[in-house]
Amino acid sequence: MVSVYLKNDNIKVNVKTGKSMREIARKSGASMEFGCRVGDCSTCIAKIVHGADLLNPINDKELLAIKAIGSKEENLRLMCQCIVEADEGEIEISYFF
Amino acid sequence: MPALTAKLSPSVDFIGAFDPKIRTFDIIMKTANGSSYNSYVVRGSAGVAIMDTVKKEFSKDFFLRLESLCKYEEILYIVLHHLEPDHSGALEELMLRAPQAKLIISGRAVLMLKGIIKSDVAFETANTGKIISLGDKTIEFLSTPFLHWPDTMSSYLHEEKILFSGDVFGSHYYDERLFDDEVGDFSYAFKYYYDHIMRPFKQYVLQALNLYSRFDIVTIAPLHGPILRTNPQYYIDKYEEWSSEAKFRKHTFGKKMLSVFYMSSYDNTHTMAKKIMEGADSIEGIVASMYDLASLDESNMVDLLEESDAVIIGSPTINGDAVKPAWDLLACMAYLESQGKIGAAFGSYGWTGEAPEMLHDRMRWLKFRLPVKPIKIKLIPTKEELEDCFAFGVEVAEITMGKMVEMEI
Ligand SMILES: Cc1cc2nc3c(=O)[nH]c(=O)nc-3n(C[C@H](O)[C@H](O)[C@H](O)COP(=O)(O)O)c2cc1C
Ligand code: FES
Ligand SMILES: [Fe+2]
Ligand SMILES: [Fe+2]
Repeated sequence: MVSVYLKNDNIKVNVKTGKSMREIARKSGASMEFGCRVGDCSTCIAKIVHGADLLNPINDKELLAIKAIGSKEENLRLMCQCIVEADEGEIEISYFF
Repeated sequence: MPALTAKLSPSVDFIGAFDPKIRTFDIIMKTANGSSYNSYVVRGSAGVAIMDTVKKEFSKDFFLRLESLCKYEEILYIVLHHLEPDHSGALEELMLRAPQAKLIISGRAVLMLKGIIKSDVAFETANTGKIISLGDKTIEFLSTPFLHWPDTMSSYLHEEKILFSGDVFGSHYYDERLFDDEVGDFSYAFKYYYDHIMRPFKQYVLQALNLYSRFDIVTIAPLHGPILRTNPQYYIDKYEEWSSEAKFRKHTFGKKMLSVFYMSSYDNTHTMAKKIMEGADSIEGIVASMYDLASLDESNMVDLLEESDAVIIGSPTINGDAVKPAWDLLACMAYLESQGKIGAAFGSYGWTGEAPEMLHDRMRWLKFRLPVKPIKIKLIPTKEELEDCFAFGVEVAEITMGKMVEMEI
């Protein structure tokens, strides 16, 4: 199990590998915001506070979106593009920062 | 129409367009006094910058005014602070007429630009701190997103202390006298614009004001209505006050507000509401209250929702739906920030009972946190079921007070 802590909502969700952040957000009732759901709109941008390496690798759409926003924050991801890939560990995510 | 322009300062002129006849703006706003689409030209020793354009139908006025002040070849930059069609309507044509000009938009506007101009155009993006020079004039950009689209930004002309604020500080108020000290009383339009356009983005307004405070501002040049040059600080203070005033009780008494809104025909949903409220109110730090949706005006709904840290809505299922006042209540969220609010739904039903689930779903789309499943009870609640309602109230209240929710999915 990987424990995913959604900081803004104070929710801890324990999940098996392969779960998408979309499903985690929806099923936990988190207020994480999604728009297009395909990586185009940047609505779902969030910061991985720790555990970034437990997710799938960042893709080109995400790199483009993060560049466009011009933020200097590290470990930004688009939540609609993220999947938990590890079997064990802890992830902490913070959105609307 | 005379090619009327107006001077804001030695090197800045108004070249926007007037729309005296418009009576509804963006579907959601009434505009009794019409409006204007403000655009400006800034002249420097090396060339000029055009700050925003106008709504497409008004392109002719805009180009007439522009041509009375500069040649297309002189345009170095076209700045679009906001891509909404009321300001980008003449962009495509302007870029054809001034192909050498560099288009400047915010980073968040990049993907929108494709949806506005169907052809590929060259552009540069601006974030806070980016500076462009017109020779002896310097324009600095400020990233002020979500006011009221993701792409919005502002800029500041250093030499003449003018803030180009985008839709921020706008009013839908047509008056060709243009300056705040010469036009009629537009204060209602200034407040109305804030309430309908900026209020859902209070946190972003405060962030923008914080950026603006770094500058000495002599004139505010917004995208709609009067240009503010008499006492710009007055308007800034108004925005600050309106954006800070919510959550009176939280700030004054240190309590969190939990509101139970309900509607009931045979008292069943009402009985549930009372128990839920009792449960919630038993939690330290929470003030729970109950409101009958049957007699709440929209403006009261908006104010109550804004004050509430948690919103619990109860509706019976009537003809396979929640009742209209419950939907009306949620429609009021269009005027407010919902991020961070806790939501929950309940209701009594006869045979299908979809209302609570539908309200829950709608709240999810409105970005409420929904940590507790909706609760529905068939017809008259039993004693045990009322205990469940009490526990439901307790649970929502505890989570509102910061209890961590842990689950497995
Ligand atoms: C006040 C206002 C708020 C808007 N909010 C959103 C929004 O939250 N999400 C979105 O995708 N588009 C939003 N839009 C953009 C509109 O959906 C877009 O401009 C659309 O093309 C308008 O369609 P229409 O020409 O049929 O009116 C908003 C537009 C306005 C004027
Ligand atoms: S929801 Fe649009 S980028 Fe993720
Ligand atoms: Fe706008
Ligand atoms: Fe506008």
